[in-house]
Amino acid sequence: MDVVRQFTNRCACGWEFRGSADEVVDATIDHGKRIHNMEATREQVLEAIGAEPGDATGAREAAGEAEAAAG
Amino acid sequence: MSRAPAGWDVDSPVQAEVFVVWLDGDRLALTGPDGPQPWILQLGPTEHPVEVVDRIVRDVVGPPILVHSTSWRRDRDAVILSFVVVIDQALVGDMASVPIDRAELARSTATAAPRDIAVSAVVEHGLRHLAWLVQDDPVVAAELPTSWRPLLAAYVPEPFRSLG
Repeated sequence: MDVVRQFTNRCACGWEFRGSADEVVDATIDHGKRIHNMEATREQVLEAIGAEPGDATGAREAAGEAEAAAG
Repeated sequence: MSRAPAGWDVDSPVQAEVFVVWLDGDRLALTGPDGPQPWILQLGPTEHPVEVVDRIVRDVVGPPILVHSTSWRRDRDAVILSFVVVIDQALVGDMASVPIDRAELARSTATAAPRDIAVSAVVEHGLRHLAWLVQDDPVVAAELPTSWRPLLAAYVPEPFRSLG
């Protein structure tokens, strides 16, 4: 059984979210846009939470698309 | 009322700092989605600050009574535009709130900004600004509920008060 790594992101306003890399990315982007008018990319959030390549489905899909486009 | 250091924060070169104010009985109080601490918004290079503040407040809290920029300063490696946003009591809901106490203003020198500006001084300045507007600006005077006037009167410097 695969164990999904858990990540936590905490905003300076006090908001905090814990979950898989994908969940944290989605929640952070939503929080930033709704509450702080921030436009953040998945890559920025992944870097902020210290996720490694492969932790996030979105990152793997993006990498796959890039490879497909290059290949 | 300070923001804790965290891994995620607004970092644009121009930011809005929103103080959501409401009338809690016979006292003015601070609230917001982050509680009473300053609510920081990112401002993009082509965005109008007032429009951004109005839109985000409407979406998150509800329709504001007044949105007014009251001061600016340099902080957080950015230019911070401070806004006082007045809301109706009905919009406060379960947002954390604290009464606003009077505070000393951060005074500039003749040609330089104050070195340190406390959040309480920014709020004090904002309410003094609002107190002046309610006497000078017909739109603010019309929009602000009359129950605010006696409270704001305490924020008006004495020489101005006598003109009212």
